[in-house]
Amino acid sequence: MPRTTLVVMSTSVTPAERLLDLVIALTHTEHRMTKADVRATVNGYSQASNDDAFERMFERDKVTLRELGIPLVTLTDDAHGDDIGYRIDLDGYALPRVDLTPAEIGVLSVAAQVWDGAHLDLPARRALTKLRAVSPAASGELSGHVLRIPPPSATFDPLLNAIASRAVVTFGYRGATSSAPAQRRVEPWRLVVRDGAWYVLGHDLVRDAERMFRLTRITGAVKVGPAGGATHARGSGTGDGPGGAHGGSRGSDGADRAVDVARIAVRPERAGDVRLRALSMTPGEGNWDGWDVLELAVGDAEDLAGLLAGHTDAVVVLEPPHLREAVVTRLRAAAGLAPTGEADRG
Amino acid sequence: MAESTSERLARLLAMVAYLADRDDVPVAELAAHFGVPQTQIMKDVDTLWVSGTPGYQPDDLLDFSADSYDAQRITLTNARGMDRPLRLGPGEAVALIVALRALANLPGLGADPAVASALAKLTAAAGDAAEAAEAVALETADPALDAHVSRVLGTARAALAAGERVHLRYTSASDATSERDVDPLELLSDGEAWFLRGWCLLSDAVRHFRLDRVAAITRTGVDVAPHEVASTSGRVRPEQTLLRARLELTPRSRWVAERFGGEILAERDGAIVVALDVADEAWLARLVLDLGPDVVGLEPRGLAESIAARAAAALTAYEEVG
Repeated sequence: MPRTTLVVMSTSVTPAERLLDLVIALTHTEHRMTKADVRATVNGYSQASNDDAFERMFERDKVTLRELGIPLVTLTDDAHGDDIGYRIDLDGYALPRVDLTPAEIGVLSVAAQVWDGAHLDLPARRALTKLRAVSPAASGELSGHVLRIPPPSATFDPLLNAIASRAVVTFGYRGATSSAPAQRRVEPWRLVVRDGAWYVLGHDLVRDAERMFRLTRITGAVKVGPAGGATHARGSGTGDGPGGAHGGSRGSDGADRAVDVARIAVRPERAGDVRLRALSMTPGEGNWDGWDVLELAVGDAEDLAGLLAGHTDAVVVLEPPHLREAVVTRLRAAAGLAPTGEADRG
Repeated sequence: MAESTSERLARLLAMVAYLADRDDVPVAELAAHFGVPQTQIMKDVDTLWVSGTPGYQPDDLLDFSADSYDAQRITLTNARGMDRPLRLGPGEAVALIVALRALANLPGLGADPAVASALAKLTAAAGDAAEAAEAVALETADPALDAHVSRVLGTARAALAAGERVHLRYTSASDATSERDVDPLELLSDGEAWFLRGWCLLSDAVRHFRLDRVAAITRTGVDVAPHEVASTSGRVRPEQTLLRARLELTPRSRWVAERFGGEILAERDGAIVVALDVADEAWLARLVLDLGPDVVGLEPRGLAESIAARAAAALTAYEEVG
């Protein structure tokens, strides 16, 4: 049996309860409800102590409904002049039919946790809740797994909106080499995750060239221009399809990441993690007698140089020269960390 | 942490749609399904029971069977037309689709059929809202390593599921290779590397093993022993701290602070001084060597000296051979 109306009215109504009653009211209204109707009849709105408080409450509630994907439509009525009415469009309300298996909803449950406290966390968990409404119980294929994805910064949302609406964005950016932030105007094309960092790829309107910008180096807010403001053809050489193998294949320096094979000498029994990546291994000769010579695929030369430098004297890069140079640069810098020691004279 | 309004509203609406198709659902089952405590389910049902259309007379409200309710089971008897499941909002679809695509991109999970089919169904269900997610590209890691990690991960997953001890040949961050038995507790990924968290019988303590440093893994056929540790840590990075290091970084390497949870002590023109809690000295040494010229200063002093000496020795090898 339902509780009496008296109980409802005498209890303090939480925002979620008020919004639930607003959703039910706006889906059942014959034609539309004006703000005055909402305030007078929907449970919870009488708690607003004055006009301003009601306006703020109602505006906030409209934002929440739209975030949830609830199709709130506004209707004007000639007989009522400027007075706007609201209704929820039931045709656009429902989730399309989806039949998820227990294993699939299990996978989605793990996926919804990957953002762990970042701003994408809440919308991902809401999406999971909505899918659970039409799903069987999850099966535990991925139980015992904890997965986290490095989250993008909050500039992700405006950039994604700008890509969808083909808008130009403006933002402050601190370059890799210059320390002072400079204003950039960019037509964004894609958001790219590489090695745990988020980038936006697009056409830099000042340099008139394709560039990648690291999201964490963007300073302040991203300003999104009018929809359709972007005029340049999108990323010719950077992969057209979603998640394409070539997505964002150029670094911020514009250098191609060509597939290259490196040869490195490794001391016996050392650098076990480098050995796991080897394409081939042969005994060293001449200067490298007693060492092993490995061939490695060079994806990103800077990444590989970082890994190899970490092994200090256990590995020596034989070729290519640019990889060798990248390793030596790192070793020189590290040797300089203790300038009073022997290292300084190396 | 208090639950957000939007999260609770989404669940209240989802519960009505879920219960519209089922009768007499135990509260415990609802709690497990929606991932909240049973007390929260009871609060949610109490809320739904007094919700409805303006007027809020008995016939205006959602209704439940009181007999079921008293028996800790839930039967919805009047949904007041709210039985449709709510579609995904654009931000919701993007957040979950990108998360799932990132999972599919991890070595070892891309081949999981449930991951691929869940992604296809989610994309279809999201409709227009899925389009924005297509602008997000995730790059795959080194394919050669990927294949190795996938094999290691496959064995580790099977052993974890079976509650079976594994034998590892493992190369540590300090490049020492050892053989050890490990009772798997959990598999973790930070989106880049996979880790096996387990009870290491060699060190008689919980250890994290990076799967791309596991040279070989075999199942032993021996059941894991009980250990007095949490089976899930809920976090990817190890919790123990050995030392607090102080790094001066150029603007280019500011990301280190956010990536490894460092505390920024000082900041000038984009350059930072960051304090990092480190569980393993060898790990820090490799990070410093990897960053190269981006590290301008390092403390503790003794560690900086030992890294500098090792780097100098390595340079000698390059100079000798030319």
